[in-house]
Amino acid sequence: MQVNVEKVELSYGAHQILKGIDFQVDKKKFVGLIGPNGSGKSTLLKAIYRVLKPDKGAIFLNGEEIEKMPYKTSAKKLAVVSQHNYYNFDFSVMQVVLMGRAPHKKNLERDNAHDYEIAQNALKTVNMLDFSNRIFSTLSGGEQQRVILARALTQQTPCLILDEPTNHLDITYQLELMDIVKKLNATVISAIHDLNIAAMYCDEIFVLKDGKIYEKGKPREVLTRDLIKNIYNVESQIVDDQDGNMHILFLK
Amino acid sequence: MSRKGKNNGETRVVTTLEFTIVMVVLLVLLLLSILTSITFGNADISVKEVYSVLANEILHLKGFENYSQGSIHDVVWIIRFPRVILAIAIGIGLSVCGVVMQAVVKNPLADPYVLGISSGASMGATLAILFGVGSGIFGGIFGSSFVGVMAFIGAMVTSFGVLFISNIGGTSNAGKLILSGMAVSAVCSAFTNFATYIAHNQNATLSITFWTMGSLASADWDDVLIILALMIAGTFVFWSQYRNLNLMLLGDETAVVLGTDLSKLRNKYLILSSLLIAVAVYSAGTIGFVGLVIPHAVRMFYGTDHKRLIPLCALVGAIFLIWADVACRIILQNAELPIGILISMIGAPCFIYLMASRSYGFGGER
Repeated sequence: MQVNVEKVELSYGAHQILKGIDFQVDKKKFVGLIGPNGSGKSTLLKAIYRVLKPDKGAIFLNGEEIEKMPYKTSAKKLAVVSQHNYYNFDFSVMQVVLMGRAPHKKNLERDNAHDYEIAQNALKTVNMLDFSNRIFSTLSGGEQQRVILARALTQQTPCLILDEPTNHLDITYQLELMDIVKKLNATVISAIHDLNIAAMYCDEIFVLKDGKIYEKGKPREVLTRDLIKNIYNVESQIVDDQDGNMHILFLK
Repeated sequence: MSRKGKNNGETRVVTTLEFTIVMVVLLVLLLLSILTSITFGNADISVKEVYSVLANEILHLKGFENYSQGSIHDVVWIIRFPRVILAIAIGIGLSVCGVVMQAVVKNPLADPYVLGISSGASMGATLAILFGVGSGIFGGIFGSSFVGVMAFIGAMVTSFGVLFISNIGGTSNAGKLILSGMAVSAVCSAFTNFATYIAHNQNATLSITFWTMGSLASADWDDVLIILALMIAGTFVFWSQYRNLNLMLLGDETAVVLGTDLSKLRNKYLILSSLLIAVAVYSAGTIGFVGLVIPHAVRMFYGTDHKRLIPLCALVGAIFLIWADVACRIILQNAELPIGILISMIGAPCFIYLMASRSYGFGGER
């Protein structure tokens, strides 16, 4: 799925967060969105997944304007894993994952064997099948995020949006979750805090600063000493390991 | 499956088979409760006589014709039986509306009583009884049931009032909602009391006492079946909406992501549950805590999934109210305890126990 964002502006009250954002994400590309706190990453993603409505501009999925679709239609095209979800209720893991089938269901339609199969496959993909009868709220943060990812997979969408999904997760779970997403071969737009993770997984990186796209391109082109200094005001050094992968070291 | 088997936060989930068995057991219990409860009461009637009346009225069996009239027939068939039916209807209505309101406002403390909707309904009814408010408008159309119409209007106005007040100055949250419910409830009670005080009408005061304390004594065949049918229909409507009710607990953002816009649904559900509450208040006065205690007790054992929660709550609520009403009939000798008083006496401590014994949430583990 191709995602186009055109001249999107968005304000909270008098405070303008997004000041005209334009970009295109090509089919099956993994795009990372980086930028300092308050640069508008989450707001931009929320506009794409329709929790916030842009004041100006529009968002298109394969050329179709998202605002003109019923919510059910957009939920069949976009799935979302957002920052850590704190749920406090007694849903089982399976019940949470099955909710991903909601957009595919008519009003009175019940979940059938096919839905269970899809949910089970999603749980298998995120290595959580053994947990399907556990109560969601008893899981650890990393396990919960993987279940939420499974729910997003159960929606069977061509595009996945991740809003700093690995926040609060330790490095094992961060890498595991990103590996799973990378293997999906879907169009992915992900806000990422950790620049090294962004460099490892992204096909393309968009840098957001003060509500505008400051730079975009391949990780190696974008993540330079100058850019990091300009965006984050931190000195850094870019090094390559013996496999030729880039790493960013932050200097004092 | 009860939660006793859990260790290290590991909890087994109730399977579909277990759910089906529990539903069947509850249905059987409900039937047994109907048949047993009907033998309790102040009038001294033997069990055999009670069932003879039922054999004649329901099964039309030959040989029981002499039970087709007389005082025994009247007590069993005209007084006790409709009352049990009304208890079922009210139990279903209050429990299911409790579940729905808790989902609609995403707050485990919501219930028709806490949110002031019951008080609103009884204020409407009071004004109608005392001053004939609304009788001019509705009297022509609805006849004597304009009292019910006023109860409905009172319920609607308070439920939207509470939602509106809790949304002033930012989105509503748990605390604001409960506080605005309390405030609106207090205002309604004050007006109800004020009206009662200045009216100096002893008959009316008595019937208003009935509204505020709650009683099933007014049950008669003219309307119990309609009320029961309404409550059951409402339950099925909400049962069919289980997916949306589940989504409501996840919040608006997640619901949009999963393809559902909740804001319109929320109003629809609130209107329908206010309607059911108004009917309940109209026929039995204000009975608190049922909508709070029953859903919580059921969630403790069977989880939050509304696909199961709604039918289970309906059955448990019905059985609970039948026996609460039996207790009201036999606790005091030669007199009857208003059921609202009894349930508050039992319900409030139960509620405190639920709150203290577990981390508070939608049945969530910590």
